[in-house]
Amino acid sequence: MNYIDTLLSLVLLSILFSFGSSRLPVLIRVIGFQGVVVSGLPLFIGNDHSLGGMAFSLITILIRGLVIPLCIYLIIRRVAIRREVAPIFGHHASMLAWLGLIAAAAFIGNKFTLPVATQNVLLMPTAIALVSGGLFLLMGHRNAIAMVLGYIMMENGIYLVGTTFSSRTHHIVEFGILLDVLAGVMIMAIILQNIKQTFDDVDTDLLQTLKE
Amino acid sequence: MLVFWVGLLLILLGGVLALLLNRNFMWLKLTAVVLTAAGSLTGLGATLSLLNKAAPATISITYLHLLSLSFKIDGLAAFFLICIFGVALPAVIYSFHYMHRAENPLAVALHYLFFSLLIISMALLVSAADSITFMLFWELMSLSSFFLVIHKHESADNRRAGYLYLAFSQVGAMFLLAAFGLIYGHTGTFGLGNLSGLSQSVRLLIFILAVIGFGSKAGVFPLHVWLPQAHPAAPSPVSAVMSGVMIKTGIYGILRMYALLNLNSPVPGGIMLIAGIITGVLGGVYALGQQDLKRLLAYSSMENIGIILIGLGLGMLGVSAGKPIMAAFGFVGGLLHVLNHAAFKSLLFMAAGMVQHSTGTLSMDALGGLLKKMRLTGIAFLMGSLAIAGLPPFNGFISEFLVYFSGFHGTGLPRHGFVLCLLAIVSLAIISGLALAVFTKALGVAFQGEPRSAAARSATEKGWTMLLPMSALAGLCLFIGLMPKAFIQLAVQAAAGLNPAYGGLPLEPFMELIGQISRFSMLFLMLLILLLALRSQLYQGKTVTKAGTWGCGFTRPNTRMQYTGSSFSASILAFFRPLTKLTEDHPVIRGRFPGATHYLSKVNDLAEMYLRPVIVNPVLALFDKLRWIQHGDVHLYIGYILLTIVVLLFFV
Amino acid sequence: MLPSMLFFLSAILLAPFFAALILKVKAFFAGKKGPPLLIQYYTLIKLFQKGSVYSTSTTFIFKLGPVLSFCCALSALMFLPVAGRPALFAFRGDVILVLYLLALGRFFTIAAAMDTASPFQGMGAAREAYFPIICEAAMFLILILLYVLTSNLQIKAFFQGGQPLLLWHKAGSPLMFVVIALFIILLTENARVPVDDPATHLELTMIHEVMVLDHSGPDLAFIELGSFCKLFFYAGLVARLVWPFETGVPALDLLLFFLALLAVYVAVGVMESVMARYRMDKVPKFVLTSFALAFFAVIVTLELAK
Repeated sequence: MNYIDTLLSLVLLSILFSFGSSRLPVLIRVIGFQGVVVSGLPLFIGNDHSLGGMAFSLITILIRGLVIPLCIYLIIRRVAIRREVAPIFGHHASMLAWLGLIAAAAFIGNKFTLPVATQNVLLMPTAIALVSGGLFLLMGHRNAIAMVLGYIMMENGIYLVGTTFSSRTHHIVEFGILLDVLAGVMIMAIILQNIKQTFDDVDTDLLQTLKE
Repeated sequence: MLVFWVGLLLILLGGVLALLLNRNFMWLKLTAVVLTAAGSLTGLGATLSLLNKAAPATISITYLHLLSLSFKIDGLAAFFLICIFGVALPAVIYSFHYMHRAENPLAVALHYLFFSLLIISMALLVSAADSITFMLFWELMSLSSFFLVIHKHESADNRRAGYLYLAFSQVGAMFLLAAFGLIYGHTGTFGLGNLSGLSQSVRLLIFILAVIGFGSKAGVFPLHVWLPQAHPAAPSPVSAVMSGVMIKTGIYGILRMYALLNLNSPVPGGIMLIAGIITGVLGGVYALGQQDLKRLLAYSSMENIGIILIGLGLGMLGVSAGKPIMAAFGFVGGLLHVLNHAAFKSLLFMAAGMVQHSTGTLSMDALGGLLKKMRLTGIAFLMGSLAIAGLPPFNGFISEFLVYFSGFHGTGLPRHGFVLCLLAIVSLAIISGLALAVFTKALGVAFQGEPRSAAARSATEKGWTMLLPMSALAGLCLFIGLMPKAFIQLAVQAAAGLNPAYGGLPLEPFMELIGQISRFSMLFLMLLILLLALRSQLYQGKTVTKAGTWGCGFTRPNTRMQYTGSSFSASILAFFRPLTKLTEDHPVIRGRFPGATHYLSKVNDLAEMYLRPVIVNPVLALFDKLRWIQHGDVHLYIGYILLTIVVLLFFV
Repeated sequence: MLPSMLFFLSAILLAPFFAALILKVKAFFAGKKGPPLLIQYYTLIKLFQKGSVYSTSTTFIFKLGPVLSFCCALSALMFLPVAGRPALFAFRGDVILVLYLLALGRFFTIAAAMDTASPFQGMGAAREAYFPIICEAAMFLILILLYVLTSNLQIKAFFQGGQPLLLWHKAGSPLMFVVIALFIILLTENARVPVDDPATHLELTMIHEVMVLDHSGPDLAFIELGSFCKLFFYAGLVARLVWPFETGVPALDLLLFFLALLAVYVAVGVMESVMARYRMDKVPKFVLTSFALAFFAVIVTLELAK
């Protein structure tokens, strides 16, 4: 049994949870779990076991798995948004979308022939599923926080591809992106608080009233 | 071959004599039934004896060099002939007591005439050896069945159903003409010989045209719209024949075309599979939504056509992928299901006819408790339900099992093949689950529980000619389920002509597998009998009392509080929501003392829903625009004729 | 043949014991002592000794139903390789036959419920017809996966002897999902929490229990014993996957199998203790999860097979 593939299949499964759940804390936990796996993976694949590389991975795990989810969790607490966020698509439709997504990701993932992907066949499909799953979450939610979570899931996917493609020389770039995401989450927190003060809710449909 | 013709002649004689004897109602019926039954029996015997011959029987008739008809009975044709005669025989016997409108003997006589024409045309079209013969009898079949559908033409609904059916069969025939025209254009002959010389794209085009044309007869989604209208309109013996065998002539056509074209590509298999999956699942879902027993059966025919198409599609896929076992199991499973469906669907239609005969209604929510009043009909319906739900030890299971087996073999195919096989297996599972729901609903609501109306309360069953065919068919369903070997051999013989690449089909894998299953089925029955004996032993000397059903504390239950058919199916239909648009009529209840209210729900068929806005309205609009052509002046019409001739001369 | 017969008989005899185990686990969670472990035997004996009351609405189907569904469950057990030993029957395609036999049992349970003319039983019957549609689809997906792995379509090839271990070697991670999916199917098909609650009888929300409301005496005993056997069948399959190892010592293997079986039953009991029954409209979602998991396992296996 290949442990990396097992981990990756768990990540794929976590997308299902994020589709099926209408509770924000569950979504946050899913994102956190994906963050940990995605950023921890370079420790196992690739040949770069230098001290810098290890330290980089550990910091990423910390930020993706702990800091970002915690931040969002705190935002929820602060803004006291409803925990239940009903997705636009029904449960059965989401489930069907997930199945289609997994199948499509597996199909597209096979089109790439990458040296890393030959050992871990699930790598590319997982990355693609994460990106498109994030997009689906963005599409399927009105709640701003759920949308941010969708965005982070997408970012997880991109990171998964990025880390495996790039050799370890591009730490700086990766790290820069990570900091961007972190900053984005912080800014979002502030904006959300403002939105909340204006509208008493973070339903993006309400933002349409700002059109004029 | 001569015996075969004698049989057909007897059937024709039955129809014609009925017309001549229309003064005396009893004699009319007796002559028609006896002669048609004797003819069917003769035909059945002739076909069976032809099967044992090595070479297919052929004959051609030429009349003054103008019209030449040629016939050939090979394994495939013989298989369908057996189905046709096998259903016609019980159906015509059944009709003796069913046709009771003595006040209008002419209508009944005409019914028998068209009935015999329908059987003859079906028998001759499956044995046709050239396209002219085929189309001739195809049209005769469509027309005679049209007249049978409008047998009770007093009702506007029936007339509308008849016209819809006629329109669909003519549009289908148009596609067939196009397909045969293409063949003639490329080969220059009407004969249906091997067409493998044609280019691949032409052959594919011919196949697709044929699938559309034959599919409209077989009831493939979305060309099935006529089916749920025509079946309830027709008298029950006619519905039994139409649903049991007539729609299968579409399947025969597709198979014959496939054998001729010798397409070595996965496309036909793919088309058949996708059509089968959609037809099967939607048929099951819509069948569940029906409240009218015959409409339910009509939709369930669609579901079974889906299973047949899946089987044949798997077979074709197996041929193109070079997997003999998969191909053999797919074709044989599909063909055996043709036979099985002919048996249990005609049985179920006969039972429904008996219900209509004695209660005057087919609406399930007005029935109930019939099993106590109509014991034999109820048991026959129960056995038919078990068979059609594909449950062992009945015949439906055997054919579904073979199709499953073919599908599992297909999962070894690369990409698209795998996906198709996966879909086929999963949808077969869903279809059989739906079939179980559909027939527990039909049985539970119409035959079990307490009667919901006065008509259902006073129901009785009488007329031994109606009960006998039902019992025989129910017995046949169980018999095929327990000893399927001979029938599988028939199907193998029929399928042997389909994939010439492999020569003869292997018989051993079937026999070994089926032998195991039938042995176990026997054992299962023995175990059941043993347990029943144990049960009666356990009840020896015990007090067994009768009381009302426990109403969970509610003391004044009435029969209208029973679970209705619509509530039974509501949650499953909700699961398939985008496919099942529900129209509800339910006024809001207001005030402290609300008045009488009602609830009406109808599950809309997607194809029916979009038929009007997408096809009917545009066509009507187009013809509305062309109305100026119809001027009313004779001279102008002659001018049109002249113009047409001139234009045509340019092309010739 | 003889050992298989013995295993088959012991499975029938042990099924009520294991079913009682669930009650014990539930009692433990509730802080009670619980009924004795032999409670189901006592119940069966008591029921077999009683007479029956039949509703005036019922027909012969009502009497045939319990015996037939019991017969179907027994037939299914004949194909179960208990503890990885050869089953009484095994031939190509036997899985399909078993699934359809269970469906036959279901048909008669539904028909017997519709026979009583009770709206409550009708409600239960409608649900009994509904959920297994999804379950069967999931089951066939699992079968496709197992067929892809073994190129064989019989229970023997999946669950007998060293086969389960081989499956784990070939496709470890997907098989994990298969186990979960199979467990969900077990809960659904056997009317356990969170799909159905076997503890309460008279509610509108029940499925299986409400369908057998009108049965009494030996008929009810047949139903109960049949449902124990059915549960044993599914639990036996799951247990073989959970504990695929073979030590080579027959007695030890047997012991370990029953321990694994015990674990499955305890898992069912724990599920029932810590979860509430789902609202009816949530149940399809739960069942659909097993379909999704099975589908997912198929896709992943195909990826791994490359």
